[in-house]
Amino acid sequence: MRALSPHRQTFGVVAVVFALTGVVLATIGGRAAAQSSSNDDLVAEGRALYNTGCVSCHGPDGQGVVTADGEERGPSLETAGEAGAYYQLATGRMPLNDPHDEPVRKRPAYDDHEIQALVAYVATLGNGPALPQIDLQGADVAAGGELFRANCAPCHSASGAGGALSYGAAAPPLSHAQPLQVAAAVRSGPGQMPVFGPDVFDDEQLRDLAAYVEYLRHPHDPGGVPIGRTGPVPEGFVAWFFGMGALVAFVAWIGTRAPLRRRRSSEGAPDA
Amino acid sequence: MSVAAKAPLTRRVARWLDKRLGAADFARSALNKVFPDQWSFMLGELALYCFLILIVTGVYLTFFFHPSPTQVIYQGSYAPMRGVRVSEAYQSALDISFDVRAGLVMRQIHHWAALLFNAAIVVHLARVFFTGAFRRPREINWMIGVTLLILAVFNGFAGYSLLDDQLSGTGLRIAYSIALSIPVVGTWITSLLFGGEFPGADIIQRLYVIHILLLPALITVLLSAHLFLVVRHKHTQFAGPGREEFNVVGERMWPTYASKALGLFFLTAAVVCFLGGLVQINPIWVFGPFNPAEVSAASQPDWYMGWLDGALRIMPGWEIRAFGFEIPNPFFPGVLLATVTFVLLYLWPFLEARVTRDFAEHHIADRPRQRPVRTALGAATLSFYSVLFFGAASDVIASQFGLSVNAVLWTFRIAVFVLPPIVATFTYRLCKELCERDGVPIDSPVRFRDIGPRLLRRRESVV
Amino acid sequence: MPDVPRDARAGAETAAAVCFGLSTLAAIALAVVYWRGGNTQAEGGLLAVVTGGIGVGIIVWAKEAMPQDEVTEERPSVASSEEEVEAFAADFEAGKEELGRRRLLFGLAASAFAAFGAALLFPIRSLGPRPGKGLKTTPYANAPIRVVTEEGKPVTPSDLSVDGVITVWPEGYVDAPDAPTLLIHYREDQDFRPRPGRDDWTVDDIVAYSKLCTHVGCPVGLYQASSGLLLCPCHQSTFAALDGAQPIFGPAARALPQLPLGLNDHGELIARGDFSGPVGPGFWDRDR
Repeated sequence: MRALSPHRQTFGVVAVVFALTGVVLATIGGRAAAQSSSNDDLVAEGRALYNTGCVSCHGPDGQGVVTADGEERGPSLETAGEAGAYYQLATGRMPLNDPHDEPVRKRPAYDDHEIQALVAYVATLGNGPALPQIDLQGADVAAGGELFRANCAPCHSASGAGGALSYGAAAPPLSHAQPLQVAAAVRSGPGQMPVFGPDVFDDEQLRDLAAYVEYLRHPHDPGGVPIGRTGPVPEGFVAWFFGMGALVAFVAWIGTRAPLRRRRSSEGAPDA
Repeated sequence: MSVAAKAPLTRRVARWLDKRLGAADFARSALNKVFPDQWSFMLGELALYCFLILIVTGVYLTFFFHPSPTQVIYQGSYAPMRGVRVSEAYQSALDISFDVRAGLVMRQIHHWAALLFNAAIVVHLARVFFTGAFRRPREINWMIGVTLLILAVFNGFAGYSLLDDQLSGTGLRIAYSIALSIPVVGTWITSLLFGGEFPGADIIQRLYVIHILLLPALITVLLSAHLFLVVRHKHTQFAGPGREEFNVVGERMWPTYASKALGLFFLTAAVVCFLGGLVQINPIWVFGPFNPAEVSAASQPDWYMGWLDGALRIMPGWEIRAFGFEIPNPFFPGVLLATVTFVLLYLWPFLEARVTRDFAEHHIADRPRQRPVRTALGAATLSFYSVLFFGAASDVIASQFGLSVNAVLWTFRIAVFVLPPIVATFTYRLCKELCERDGVPIDSPVRFRDIGPRLLRRRESVV
Repeated sequence: MPDVPRDARAGAETAAAVCFGLSTLAAIALAVVYWRGGNTQAEGGLLAVVTGGIGVGIIVWAKEAMPQDEVTEERPSVASSEEEVEAFAADFEAGKEELGRRRLLFGLAASAFAAFGAALLFPIRSLGPRPGKGLKTTPYANAPIRVVTEEGKPVTPSDLSVDGVITVWPEGYVDAPDAPTLLIHYREDQDFRPRPGRDDWTVDDIVAYSKLCTHVGCPVGLYQASSGLLLCPCHQSTFAALDGAQPIFGPAARALPQLPLGLNDHGELIARGDFSGPVGPGFWDRDR
């Protein structure tokens, strides 16, 4: 092979370096473009899903729908944000078949990717809370417990069993709540729940809180059958039905029956 | 000294004791005491045995419990509480539960036994009521019994409030506020009892003394008097072959009845031990330490205080305010209702005697169906308090069954007035029908409409 | 005297023996469990077998293998005879007469006893302080004073999200049991109606109420953000946070006292005075 002249050799090296740089830049740029276009894709995908499954109650731009009678079919999603959308979709509360139904936890109607897409779309509808990242590694469960008892126990009970609110509303039990769902709920305040923003719980405290809720799903029960962990109500039932039931049964076994079906009392009335 | 064989052990011991106590005759009559062994006469014993178990387990717990409100940092083995500021009382309760071997089972047996102690007293009281065993000569014993009920309720409340956990601390706050609502002296009573405003620094220590010394001592003394009177009067018995007003038919104390009693004690212990090991009670580590600014949903007192809590819940928001003074809302369900309840309980034997005009001595127990008026009134009263008991669980009922808690409370508000008369009517009719079916005469010295006039000593209607 | 047939007795005695044997084994197992570190369920269960075994054994023995004869005992009337009661009364009267002869002395003795009894009551006064202004004031009386979270952090309006709720205390008094305060950030579209004279008691749609329920003092921990209701979990008293925390359901008869909010120079929330009334449950002279 005839060697290239020194000028040609230099030119060749520079050309290769440029080419390689170009390839690298193109790849990176391409990936970034792919990401931003993939985020755009996600939002677009979300919009498409939204327009199929959510628009009838929440309106074309998430502004909510009020019927002719002044009844609200679905609230505005302006303040929902990533957190609100994620919570409702990941717990299966949304989509709701009938606006009069009470939203309850059920199997999510969308898979994880679809939820991601919808969340991305809803985030663009307003300035609602972002979805925090929750990594339970290094969480302080004890600190989370203190936060839980101070802020969550009044509605959800200290054991996370849920509780009654006024006029038929209820704070749901937390036995199925995943950490990210907990974080999303805390930041978005779904339904009757208040909103606890980053200045009330910072992200670290939120992580601790989520860790404690996770603990409550499988807590220590060293005393035996936990009978709900709610305290005196189930304990009273067990004491009466099981405890007194057993004791009275024993007493009935030990003692005798009074002679029944007497045809006359001891006062001496004659036989019929 | 003869070479005859030594007398058997029993005789030797008996003679040794008799030379010092002179009790042979008394002891013999004790052995031969006759007890009717009808099953419902053994319900009071259940309470006695629960009390003994409470003392044994309670003494054990006192060796580990620190009744101190001093704040410390928990560092025991329950990880989700490590690093949290708690009182020494709470910490020692956690230590008993997690770091003292057999501590948790003792604590749980103690608490289950307390629930059963109160339940047994109530069941026993109901038996005595429905069989008319409070009539002369047993009125004093009835009043001692009612006092024992009050003491048992208070001691239970004092006991579980010692732990300074969130749930019992909330209950203590409610008790403080009920006492506060007493007109004129309420603020003084609470200040003296708590050593100042709620929560104060003294209440745990004071409750401790009340719980382990004052009330158990009172209970022991009254219980002894109660049992002495039962022995003195001899137990009532149902009518039957050979049973008269002035005899008592049954089993001898020794060996049969005493054995059965001992056996029942062990069976009672078996039930509380089973519960104490296998069914968790009062998980204070879930409730957390007491903080007056915090509270949990589903906060109820132990079952025997439930009627008071239910009354507080269903009472509408009425108060009396005049001239700058007020009688706050909690006074009516908390203080007034409780006072009326126990005054009526205490006075019942005398009220019934006045109405039935029956002041004779009675040793034959009534069969409830033969006294339809008393049985109906008793059943109606039980239904009234049952509504209150269930009322205390209003939020749990609403939450469990997906109901509106407001609707549940309104239901109880109505039920508390509507249910008792329905129960009374139904019970009355049932008693009459059962008597007819069995051919048993009704022993009803009074009709419902006579009660009012006879109580007030007016001339009754000539109908 | 009916005697128990021999085979029934033998059967019962065997059963009782088995029970006692089981009980003994369980006791040994219990000791082993304890020695090996203990386990609550095993301890309770084995204790139940130990005591239950003994109990069942004894009962079976007593019911089936002990004499079941019915015995009758005389039950004399409880009342003593007329003569005995008379004799008692007569002796008592005789003694009483002796005391009655010296009426003055008896009276002085009685009053000495009474005075002694009354004197003994005085140390009870040491149990607690005279109930004073403490029930009617809170540390917010040191106003103007910043409100802080439980960690002592001051609060600015932007810290509290819309529909948010947070518990605060007067600065320096985070342990005061009568001072916990609810800060609620209601929504613009909620119909907030300030009580007469309290138009300037809120800051940026943030209102402050005492957290202590006016029924029996539980913390009113539940804020239902959509409806603007405060619910107390103890007895379900419900307060309208948008309407001066008036009670709309339940046993509470008085509104939650409101705290006048303001801002200091740094834009932090302060209390400009104490609550609008005594906090917590009512008492006799609360309104005086």
